[in-house]
Amino acid sequence: MNQNVAIIGIGYTVPKPKTPEVSYKEMTYLAAQMAYKEAKISPKEVESFVTAAEDLHEGTSIFDEYTPDQLGAVQKPMHTVSGDGIQGIIAAALQIMTGAFDLIVVEGHSKASNIVTPTYVLNYALDPVINRPLNINPHYIAGLEMRAYMQDSKTSEEDVANVVAHNLTRAALNKLAPYGAKISPKKVLSSEPLFEPIRKLHMPQTSDAAYVVVLASERIAKKKVKPVWISGMSFCSDSPTLETRDWTTSISTQIAAEKAYQQAGIKNPAAEIDVFEIDDSFGYKQLQHLEALKVYEKGKAKNIFENGDKQKLSTRVNPSGGTLGVGWMHEATGLHKVLEVVSQLKGKKGKAQIKKAKVGLAQAWRGLPTTTCAVVILKNQK
Amino acid sequence: MSKVKLPDSKAGKLAWKGDIPITSRYTAGVAGQKFFQALKEEEKILGTVCNKCEVTYVPMKLFCERCFAQLDETVDVGDTGRLVSFSVVYIDLDSKKVNPPQIVGLIELGNSQARMVHRLGEVKSSDLRVGMKVKAVWEMPLGREGKITDIQYFKPV
Repeated sequence: MNQNVAIIGIGYTVPKPKTPEVSYKEMTYLAAQMAYKEAKISPKEVESFVTAAEDLHEGTSIFDEYTPDQLGAVQKPMHTVSGDGIQGIIAAALQIMTGAFDLIVVEGHSKASNIVTPTYVLNYALDPVINRPLNINPHYIAGLEMRAYMQDSKTSEEDVANVVAHNLTRAALNKLAPYGAKISPKKVLSSEPLFEPIRKLHMPQTSDAAYVVVLASERIAKKKVKPVWISGMSFCSDSPTLETRDWTTSISTQIAAEKAYQQAGIKNPAAEIDVFEIDDSFGYKQLQHLEALKVYEKGKAKNIFENGDKQKLSTRVNPSGGTLGVGWMHEATGLHKVLEVVSQLKGKKGKAQIKKAKVGLAQAWRGLPTTTCAVVILKNQK
Repeated sequence: MSKVKLPDSKAGKLAWKGDIPITSRYTAGVAGQKFFQALKEEEKILGTVCNKCEVTYVPMKLFCERCFAQLDETVDVGDTGRLVSFSVVYIDLDSKKVNPPQIVGLIELGNSQARMVHRLGEVKSSDLRVGMKVKAVWEMPLGREGKITDIQYFKPV
């Protein structure tokens, strides 16, 4: 990368299933206070702001008009990325890499508990003339993809249940994961069928939280305590339509990861990356994404729980408990993964800490019905 | 990192609900017009072919999303296909149980490798298999509207 960019502060509110006591603006304000304190900056110094948000999730049209005040960004350049927060981080880092900016703030939040009819919002994302007229709960898309992935990779429902049980159990060690629970694979397999092969315990539940990330150029970051450096980043989308996309491989993760690895000089991700926080929605997505990230060969990610996991990947992948444990947070989902990786690289994860973690990867999927994924590689040394 | 404390959860919980009626118009376009007219009037599923990329697009598209070429070649892909995947849906858009469950299939049409997502019918979910051959069940001609639902569902053959 021709201009080094670092994260010099992250603020957040603890993810919770519901937050009726606080507005999204107040949550964001609290996260911003925390981020600015850690970065030792005032919002007056920030040159540009980015929010990751989607109007229909906010219940407001032209939501970018609602984003400045809670960040201290009134009368400042600010734009909204209608995508995952990692896409927001990349948009901000690119601005710094132009050399025109030194200090940029990225914000993402979830007030998922306020979306009264989430399935209708999801249905509205489907092609209006080809898919929406079927008038079926659109989570069937995950059901179709899970079966297609299992068929192609010779992965069983038991393999997917192992992922769900493992992540929910790991989440129990994470103070930021409200859905942690000691659950057996058997319980996953016997949970209520909803969109077969998807069952109730495959479904990520939603959380509310806010995240504010302060990014700085090397000129600023080198004066700060423990900056975390962005060493690779990319995002892309596969074919948007259900009719033309690849139903077995996460092509967008694969392409984004290839570019990010090239930037970071990573040749063997399983060996060179210490901690992975990746999308694990519906369980099968973790396996699909691990293969797209080249941590495993195609069809081999199910082996993660086999005896002889010499590289200890079952420990180093989603130590947070993943999205299944922390909760789905729409555009903020990827920012939580960045928070977990940054905390790992700073050695602050307590019982969930991966020893001597120096390099981490956060990957996010934009969620149903999309094929958009983003990858960022972080290091605690330049 | 300093800890941020949220207000007491017993504090104010006042909230309002809001909604708006949203109605939009979706233009079928050059390719869409031809595709939906063929569904309605000829009981045919048409695709467009990109010979360079060896891709057939169903529903028809005016351009190839891979090489960006304008597509002129139209092909009738037939109304039978192979089941690539399926999902059995037990709850509707309001999260209410649907009985019997709805079945959705990802269907590869004819020999084209073009795919369509549609309902499956006249089959028990326990009898479904990936690779199963299926055929479109058409709406009666007078009931057709030039919509994807002019195909009622696909059934095993």
